[in-house]
Amino acid sequence: MLSRPTTEQLILDCRNELLNTIDPAVAAEPVKIAIQMLENVLRNCATRAAHEIAWMRDETEQMIAFAHRVADSACATPAIAGALDAYRAGRSDSLHLDDVAHTYSLAGHCFSAAIDAVMAAGDDDLHLAAREVLTTRLEHETQIMGEWSFVGRA
Amino acid sequence: MLDPSEMPGRLAAFLDRHSGARRATVTSYEAMVGGYSRLMARAEVMWDDGTTETFVLRGDPPPGKAMMETSRDLEWALLSALGAADAIPMPAARFYDSTGEHLGTKCIVLDYVNGRSLQSVLNEHSADSGYGSHPLDLVDTMAAVHRVDVSGLAGVLAVPDDWDGYISGLIDRFRQADATHAEAMPFLRYVAAWLEANKPAPLPLRLVHSDFQPANVMVTTDGRHQVIDWELSHIGDPREDLGYYNIYSSASGPNLFMLDPEGFLARYRERTGFGEDAVNLQTMAYFSSLAAITVYSQILLGAGAMARGQNAGIMTTYTLNALTVGHINFMAGCTPPAGGGH
Repeated sequence: MLSRPTTEQLILDCRNELLNTIDPAVAAEPVKIAIQMLENVLRNCATRAAHEIAWMRDETEQMIAFAHRVADSACATPAIAGALDAYRAGRSDSLHLDDVAHTYSLAGHCFSAAIDAVMAAGDDDLHLAAREVLTTRLEHETQIMGEWSFVGRA
Repeated sequence: MLDPSEMPGRLAAFLDRHSGARRATVTSYEAMVGGYSRLMARAEVMWDDGTTETFVLRGDPPPGKAMMETSRDLEWALLSALGAADAIPMPAARFYDSTGEHLGTKCIVLDYVNGRSLQSVLNEHSADSGYGSHPLDLVDTMAAVHRVDVSGLAGVLAVPDDWDGYISGLIDRFRQADATHAEAMPFLRYVAAWLEANKPAPLPLRLVHSDFQPANVMVTTDGRHQVIDWELSHIGDPREDLGYYNIYSSASGPNLFMLDPEGFLARYRERTGFGEDAVNLQTMAYFSSLAAITVYSQILLGAGAMARGQNAGIMTTYTLNALTVGHINFMAGCTPPAGGGH
C-alpha cells in the first residue's frame, strides 16, 4: 500500500480544498454552515487517523492495569472479575481498527466496573488513580476535538 | 418541508384548512439556519383580508437524519399549554400538522419573532463591555420559566413523585446511556457515582427548559426576551437550567454567569425565592455536570445509531465533539477527593 502521504495528510488536503475551492463558490448560508462543520469533522478525522490506534492501545493498558489493581484490593467485586474474564476471552492483538476498538471497549467495561467499586467503597487513593486514567482519555479526546464551538447557532 | 420548492403551495393549502374563511398566499419561503435538531423555515403569508403575517415552521428531519429524536406531539401540547397560561414570554404556537400529511413532515407553525437571538446580540459586544443589562435580563427570563405553576402542565409533562427519586432517576440516565451505547463510556459511570454520592439540598420541582442558552432566547426589537425551542422541556429541578447554561456557555461563550457568579445567583434567588442553601456555587457546579445528561444522552444516541449504521448526516458527526465538551465539564464539576489535584 501507499503509506506516504499519510491518511492524515490526505484528509487535511481535502479539508484545504473544501475551504479554499468549494466554500468561496458557495453563497447559500445553510451550505456554508455545513462546510464549516465538515471542515471540523475532517480535522477530527485527520487527528484520529494519525493517532487513534496508538491511543486506544495505551489507554487499554492503563484501564486494564487499574481494573487489576482494584480487583486485587478490598474494593474487588464480582462485576470487575466478570468484566476481566470477558476482556481476556474477547481481546485481540490485531491492529485492524475494528479489533483495536473492540478490545478498547472491553477494557472500558473493566474500567467502568472498577470505577463503580471504588466509588461505592469511597477509596480516595483509587478514586484519584481512576481520575488519572480518565484524564489521559480526555486529553486524547481534546486533541481530536481541537477548536470547536456550535457553528451557526447564533 | 423536505422539498422547499413545494412548500409555498403546501403551506398555503394547510393554512386555508385551519383558518376558517380566510385564504392565505405564501409570498416567500426560506430555510432558516441556526437550528440543530429540527428543520426550520420562515414564511411570509398574505391573507385575503389584506393582512400579513410571518411564521416559523419547525419540523422533523427525514428519518435517519436527526441528531436527536424528540416528540413534536409533546412539544405542541406543551407550547399550547404554556401559551394558554401566558406565564412565559414566547412566540405563539399557531398550527400543527400532526401527521406530516400537509407539510411533508410533522411540523409546528409558530409566530415569527421580529428580532435576533440573544447569542447574536451578545456576539456584537466586546468581552470588556460587561454586556450591559443582558446578564440580569437572562437571569430574569430563566427565573420566569422556573416560576411557572407546574400544576397546569400535569396533563402534558410527567410529574415526578419526589425530588430525591427524580434526581436519582436523572443520575441513572448516565448509566443507561453507557449501557445502551455502542462502546463502553467510563466517564458516564464515574459521573453517575460521583453525583449519587454528592446530592445537594432539594428544591421544588419546576418546569425545566433543558436547552436554556442564548441561541434559544430571542430578543425583540424593543429588547424583550422570547424563549424558543422547548423540545427537551420537562418537570425537574430548576437548577438543571442554571447548570446547563453554564456548561453550554463555557463551550460557546460568552458565559454571562462567569462575569459575576455570586451576583448572577443572587439575582436568581431574588427572582425565584429560592434559598442560598440550595442555590450557590457548589450546587451550580453539581448541576453543571448533572444537567448535561439530557442533551448529552440524545447526542450519544445519535452517535450510537450511526455506529450501528442506522443514522447519518453532518449534524450527528459534527456534534460528536459536544460529547467531549461534556466530558470536560464532568471532570471539572466532579471534584476529586481532598488532597487530589486532578
